[in-house]
Amino acid sequence: MGTATRADAVPAWHQRRVRIYDREAPLGYFLLLPTLVVLGIFLLYPFLFGIWLSITDSELGNVGKFIGLGNYRFEFRNTDGVFYGAVINTFLYTGVTTVFKLSLGLVMALLLNQIFPFRRFVRAALLLPYIIPTVLSYEAWRWMFDPTFSVINWLLVNTHLVHYPGPNWLGVPANAMAALMIVNVWRGTPFYAISFLAGMQVIPVDLYEAARVDGASRRQQFINITLPLLRPVLLVVLLLSTILTFADFQGPFVLTNGAPYNSTQLLSIWAYQWGIPGGAIGLGAAISLVLFPLLTIVVAVVLFMLRRPE
Amino acid sequence: MPRAKKRAKSGWSRRKFLQTAGVAVATMAFPEILISCGPQSNSTPTATIPKPRKGASIRLLQWTSFVKPADAEFKRQAAEWGDANGVTVAIETVTGDQLQPKTAAAVEASSGPDIIQMQYGWPQLYTDSCLDVSNEVNILIGKLGKPDPVNEAFCKVNGTWRAIPYTVVPNAWTYRTDYFQQAGVSSFPTTWDELTAAAAKLKTTSKPISQTDGHAYGDSLTMWNPVLWGFGGKEVNADGKTVAINSKETRDAIKWAQGAVQAGFVVHPEWLDPDNNQAYHANRISGTLNGASIYIREKIEFHKYTDVTNNAPMPSGPKGTFAMNLIFNHAVMKWSPDAETAKAMLLALMEKDQYQKWTMIAAGYNAGPFESLHNDPVFASDPKLKAFQDVVAPGKWPGWPAMPSKKTAQAQTQYIVADMFAKALANGGTGDIEAAISAAETSLKAIFERP
Amino acid sequence: MAVQSTTQSGRPGALRPKVRKPRIGRVIGDSPAGRVIRIYVPLLLFLVVTLFPFYWMAITSFKSASELFDFSVSPLWVRDPTLAWYQHLLTQTNFPHWALNTAIVAIVSTLISLFCSVLAGYSLARLRYRGADSIGWGIFVTYLVPPTLLFLPLTFVIRELHLFNNLWALILTYPTFLIPFCTWMLMGFFKGIPHELEEAALVDGATRIQAMLRIAIPLAVPGILAAALFAFTLSWNEFLYALIFMNDSLVKTIPVGVTQELIHGDEFFWGELMAAALLGSVPVAVLYSFFVDYFVAGMTAGAVKG
Repeated sequence: MGTATRADAVPAWHQRRVRIYDREAPLGYFLLLPTLVVLGIFLLYPFLFGIWLSITDSELGNVGKFIGLGNYRFEFRNTDGVFYGAVINTFLYTGVTTVFKLSLGLVMALLLNQIFPFRRFVRAALLLPYIIPTVLSYEAWRWMFDPTFSVINWLLVNTHLVHYPGPNWLGVPANAMAALMIVNVWRGTPFYAISFLAGMQVIPVDLYEAARVDGASRRQQFINITLPLLRPVLLVVLLLSTILTFADFQGPFVLTNGAPYNSTQLLSIWAYQWGIPGGAIGLGAAISLVLFPLLTIVVAVVLFMLRRPE
Repeated sequence: MPRAKKRAKSGWSRRKFLQTAGVAVATMAFPEILISCGPQSNSTPTATIPKPRKGASIRLLQWTSFVKPADAEFKRQAAEWGDANGVTVAIETVTGDQLQPKTAAAVEASSGPDIIQMQYGWPQLYTDSCLDVSNEVNILIGKLGKPDPVNEAFCKVNGTWRAIPYTVVPNAWTYRTDYFQQAGVSSFPTTWDELTAAAAKLKTTSKPISQTDGHAYGDSLTMWNPVLWGFGGKEVNADGKTVAINSKETRDAIKWAQGAVQAGFVVHPEWLDPDNNQAYHANRISGTLNGASIYIREKIEFHKYTDVTNNAPMPSGPKGTFAMNLIFNHAVMKWSPDAETAKAMLLALMEKDQYQKWTMIAAGYNAGPFESLHNDPVFASDPKLKAFQDVVAPGKWPGWPAMPSKKTAQAQTQYIVADMFAKALANGGTGDIEAAISAAETSLKAIFERP
Repeated sequence: MAVQSTTQSGRPGALRPKVRKPRIGRVIGDSPAGRVIRIYVPLLLFLVVTLFPFYWMAITSFKSASELFDFSVSPLWVRDPTLAWYQHLLTQTNFPHWALNTAIVAIVSTLISLFCSVLAGYSLARLRYRGADSIGWGIFVTYLVPPTLLFLPLTFVIRELHLFNNLWALILTYPTFLIPFCTWMLMGFFKGIPHELEEAALVDGATRIQAMLRIAIPLAVPGILAAALFAFTLSWNEFLYALIFMNDSLVKTIPVGVTQELIHGDEFFWGELMAAALLGSVPVAVLYSFFVDYFVAGMTAGAVKG
C-alpha cells in the first residue's frame, strides 16, 4: 500500500504512519460527522438506555433499581427450558436460513447476470419477496399455511404427494419451524442475489477475458475470479443478514408467536413477551442483550472463515 | 452485596405481599362487604362531578371491536358529546397485538393518549400511570349499581380504582344444531363429561367440536382456564404467591381433556383467534367457544347457518361452573393535560341510555359491567343470545383465585396454562401429563418467585 | 463444458451450478439447448417459487367472499372475479394516504442515509486514522441492538422533539438502522476499488475530496444504488416505529394502516388484505426494475480500463 514514501532518520514506517494520521484524520472525522450526529441522538442514547435497563429491575413506567446481573442470572438459571430453547432456536433458525439464502442467492445472481429476454422484468419480479412489506407478506404466508384453507396443502394433496389434509404447518413443532424458515428464505434470498449481482458488476470484464484466453474453464473462472472478488460483498452481506435474522421479530411474531407451546420461541420474541406484555422491561432488555455476545461469536466466526488469505 | 440488597428488597416486598394478600383474602371472603363499603367509605356527601373544559382535546386508544358497527357507534357518541361540550375527540382503534406496544410506549414515555383501554390486568401493570378514578367509579356505582367482580378485580389496585369499568365480552359455545341433531345430541352438554360424550358422537359427522390450544390472544384463555378451574385446579393460591399448579385437581383436568380429545374433541395448537371463526363459517366444525362474533356475523353478514346456529353457556366441572370473558376498562392517564375532561367524557358514555344504544348495535357482543346494565334489552331481543348473558356471572380472571397482579399478568401473557394443556394433548391426546405439569410449574415458579 | 446441475424448486436441497461464466453484455456462445438447461430451467424454477405467493395473493384479491372459503373446487383460479376489494381499499380506507406516506418516508430517509453513509463509508474504507477501526466497529455494534428494545427509549426522544404523529419521527429514526447497513455495504464496495486509481489522481495533484468525488464515488455507483435499493426497501418494510409513533389514520404507513384497519381480531379480510399487499409491492418492484438495469448499464460504461 504505497502512500507517503519519504524516508527519514526515524524509522520510515513510523514517519509514514504519523504523516498519514495527521493528514487524514481531520478529513476522516469530518466525513463521519453526519453519521455520528444522527446515530448519536437516535441510536446511541437509546442503546445506552437499553443497557442500563437490563441491569435494573425496571418495570414499564417505573424506574427500577440497579440490580447488577440479576436479570441475566434469572434467565440463565431458569430451568423451564424456554430461554435455552429460544437460544437454540435462534441459532438454528439463523444458521439454516443463512446457508440457503447464501447458496440460492449466489445461484440467482449468476442467473440474473445472463442475457435473456425480459431480463429487466425478471429481475424486478425476483425482487418482489424482498419488497413487499414484511408484515403483509407474512400475513399472506399465514393465509397460505392457513389451518383450514391452505392452498399449499391443497396442491400437495391434489398432486397426491401427501394424504388429506396435508401437513399441519403451524401446529406441529417441526413443521412450524420449517414454515418459519421457508418464509425467511423466500424473503431474504433476493437480498443476497442483488448484492452479489452488484458485486459481480464491479469485477472488471477483462479479468475474465484474460482467463479465457489462458484457457481457464468456466468453473475455474468462477472459483478463481468471481468468488474471491466477491469476498468483500459477501462479508458485508453475510454479516448484516445474520444480524438481521438473529433479531428477526416481525415475521415469526405474526406467523407463530412462539406456538406451538414455545417450540418456535426465538430470543427476540421471548424478550418482547417479558418486556412489553409482561411489563418487565429490565428483564426484556437483558434477554435482548444476550443476543450481543452470541452475535459477537457468530461475527467472529464469519470473519475468521472469510479472512483474506494473505 | 447484590444478595444483601436482594434480601432487603424481598423483605420489603414480603410486607407488601402480606398487605395485598390481606386485601385479597378480605375481598374473597367478604365481597359484598367490600363493595358495599365503597360508596359508604367515600362518605363525602357529594362526589365531585368532573367538568369538561371547552377547547380541550381528548385522545382515546382502544381495541378494534370485532363488530365493526359498534366502533362506529362508539365514535359517533363520543363525537356527539364532544360537539356538545366544545371538545375535540379522537378515537384510535388498533388490534390487540398492537395495543400492547403502543400502551407500553406511552407509559414509558409518559405521554400519549389521554384515555387508554385497559385489557385484563393492565391496571396492575401500569398502576402509577393510571389516575385514581375512585370518584368517578363511585358516581357510576351510584347510578348503575354494583360493578361486576371481575372488572373490579382488574380495576381496583390496592383498594384504589385505577380504571373505570367499561365492558365484558362474554364467551360462550356456538354450535350447529343440525349436526348435533344428526349425531343424536339433543342439547349442548352441561358438564365437561357430557362434552366428551357429545364430541365422540359428533366425530361421526366429520364436523368435530374444535378449539384452540395455541397462543390465541383470547380463545386460549377463555377455554383452558375454566377447564382448569372446573376441576379445582389453579395456577397459584389465593395468596398470589404460592404456585399450586402441581395438584391432583390439575391432573383431573388434564385427564378429562385427554379423554375428550381421544373421544373426538379436536384441539388446534396453530389456531389463533380468527381461526375458529373461519372454520365455523366454512362449515368445517360443529361447535366452538368464542365471543358472540360467530353468531353475529352469521346473522348479519353471511346468512348461511343462522338458523342452525345456537349458543350455550359453559359446561360445569366437578368443582363448579366457571367462565372467562374478555374484560375491558378505561383508564385516564396521569400525563393527560385534560384529565377532568377525559373523566367527564367517560362518565357521559357510560350513561345507561347511551351505553345500551351501543350494546344494541354491538348485537350481543358486549355486556355492561354494572348491575343495572345486566338486563340489557339486546339479550332479550334474540333468545339465542341468552347464553352470552349467562356466562357473565361465573366469569373469573386469569390467575384466579389470586388477585390480579403483575405476576398473574405475566403468567397469562406466556400462555402457561394453554401450553400445559397443549403439551398433554399432543399426539391425539396422549402427551406426557407429568412433563406438561412440571414445565408449567417451573415457568410459574420462575415468575412468581422472581424478586 | 457447460454442464448444469439443475436446481430443485428453490427449496432445500438446491445444488449450485458447477459452471457459470458471468459476462456483462456478452452473449454466451453456447448451443441453444445448453442455454435452456443452464439458464431457462433454473430461472423458471426460481420464478415459480418466488412468484407463486404473489399469484395467490392476486387471485385472492379478486375472489368474492364466498369463493374465498370454498375449497370444493380448485382454488387456483378465479371463477367470478370482483373488483370490490380493490374498490373498497382505495375508496373506503385511507390506503392512498398510507401509500404516499410510506413513499415519502422511504425516499427521504434513504437520501439522508445515503448521504451519511457514502461519506462515512469512504472515510472508514479509504482513509486511515486513529480510531477508524473502533468507530467502524462501534457503528456495527450498535446495530446489534434490536428495535424491539430500542423503541421504548426512542419514544422519549420523539416526545421531547414533539414529533409524535409526524412523518419526521420516522424520517429521522429510520436512518438508525439504514446508515450502519449502508455504510458497511459501501465500505465493501469502496474497498473493492483499486487504490491505484485514486493514487494516480492524488499524484496528479487532486485533493482527497476531489479524488473521492471524481473517482471513488462514480465507481461505486452500483454499490450506492444497491444500498439505495436496500435502504428504500427496509424503510418501506418497517413496522414497529411506525406503529408507535403514528396515531392518526391519515399519517400511517402501509404496513400499519393495513394491519390495523383490515384485521379485526376475529376477522381477517383476506381479499382486501391481499389487494393491499399487492398494491404495496408491485408498483415498487416495477420502479426497481428500471434502477436494476441502470446500474448494470452504468457499470459497463464505467468498467475499469487497463
